[in-house]
Amino acid sequence: MFDIEYIRPDNLSEALDFLNAKGADSKILAGGTDIMVDLRSGELNTRHLLDVSRLAELKKIEVLDGKLIVGAAVTITELLESDTVAASAPALGKAAQKFASRQIRNMATIGGNVAHCSPCGDTLPPLLIHQARAAVVNPRGQRLVTIEEMASGPYHCSLHPDELITHFVLEPKPPEVDFADFQKIGRRQELVIARMSMAAMAARDGDNSISLLRFALGSCTPTPHRFYEVEEFLEGKKPTEAVLWQAGKILAEKMLKTTGRRPSAVYKEPAIQGLFMRMMSPLIQ
Amino acid sequence: MKQNNITIQFKINGRKQQLDIPAGMTALELIRDRLELKGTKEGCGIGECGACTIVVDGRAVNACLMFAAQLDGREIFTVESLAQTDQLHPIQEAFARQHAVQCGFCTPGLLMSARALLAEKSNPDRSTIVKAISGNLCRCTGYHSIIAAIEDAAKQQSKEGS
Repeated sequence: MFDIEYIRPDNLSEALDFLNAKGADSKILAGGTDIMVDLRSGELNTRHLLDVSRLAELKKIEVLDGKLIVGAAVTITELLESDTVAASAPALGKAAQKFASRQIRNMATIGGNVAHCSPCGDTLPPLLIHQARAAVVNPRGQRLVTIEEMASGPYHCSLHPDELITHFVLEPKPPEVDFADFQKIGRRQELVIARMSMAAMAARDGDNSISLLRFALGSCTPTPHRFYEVEEFLEGKKPTEAVLWQAGKILAEKMLKTTGRRPSAVYKEPAIQGLFMRMMSPLIQ
Repeated sequence: MKQNNITIQFKINGRKQQLDIPAGMTALELIRDRLELKGTKEGCGIGECGACTIVVDGRAVNACLMFAAQLDGREIFTVESLAQTDQLHPIQEAFARQHAVQCGFCTPGLLMSARALLAEKSNPDRSTIVKAISGNLCRCTGYHSIIAAIEDAAKQQSKEGS
């Protein structure tokens, strides 16, 4: 039992009115799977919970004007069951399959996963390779926030207290992309917080050389982001085992440049290369 | 503790209910303490162990991670919905047949995960079963008997269906 107030607005404008009046003292509740844990641990202290999980405006999955729209209150289960997501953002669908447990996937939402700003959020690497932006509304209007801008640091969301994510706008997979994947390593296979996670999509020319690559790394750096050096290194090259190992080495070096050589580097440096190899090896012909 | 109350309506194990509850009450507290349905267990309280698994609108969820308020308008099933007065549910019978119960603390959660799975997929393969119960921890059995029980229940279910 928590000493807290629960409000469930009937529509988006009611939600915004509430945030306008009491946003500073409120937390937005979608699935609640992180909020409940944080309330219990004492990490989170707030007066009001604003339940946005049933707002129709936040539940859409559709392709509109060449963009993939995914509502912020779409659950992880809805992501992995969606044919639209499988067709337009396959790496996001794969990440959804590996997300926590079935019970949590049935409640947790993509908006909550992003706004929680954990470096280990499983939806973040796939959203990054789709150059996703969050559509954020506030009493003054709407703005678009990139995934990179969303977290100002681990667990620090840059949104203002009167703001709410309604949906995400993704660049759909280009038609020539025939490879997309998400991989993660944790202490076990299921229901695990990622130690490292990554997403990629690739297209190849007739001679199997890589014509397009988008790659993002999660969990290893304070906030997940694209690794353009890896993309640039591989574009134009034929993916052989040696070339992919070399790309994995560049990835490990760039990661260590961001984080510094911490004690965990002894594990992370080879593990990240191994995970990269596991993910990318289907590209070898 | 100062509490603001809210009114919620829901259907639980086939019965309609309307209740005034404190806004900060969890779904698990509502089920165990208010409705006195003690089959649903609290293990970890943070969504790791699955002992509190219930089925809400057809989906297995952790009752410990939900506010009771989130159940408003929903249809809920707890482990008490399975057995009839003198007849176990086929999934429960399969658990007994396969010796899938030792200390029993995880059993209600596992039964509800199995129920949600079998309602969705009548003939799941082994890897689907393993994945479906990966959010339920059992520290006694080593899982093999539990997986065998769910396979057994699925077989019985498809026999009866055909």
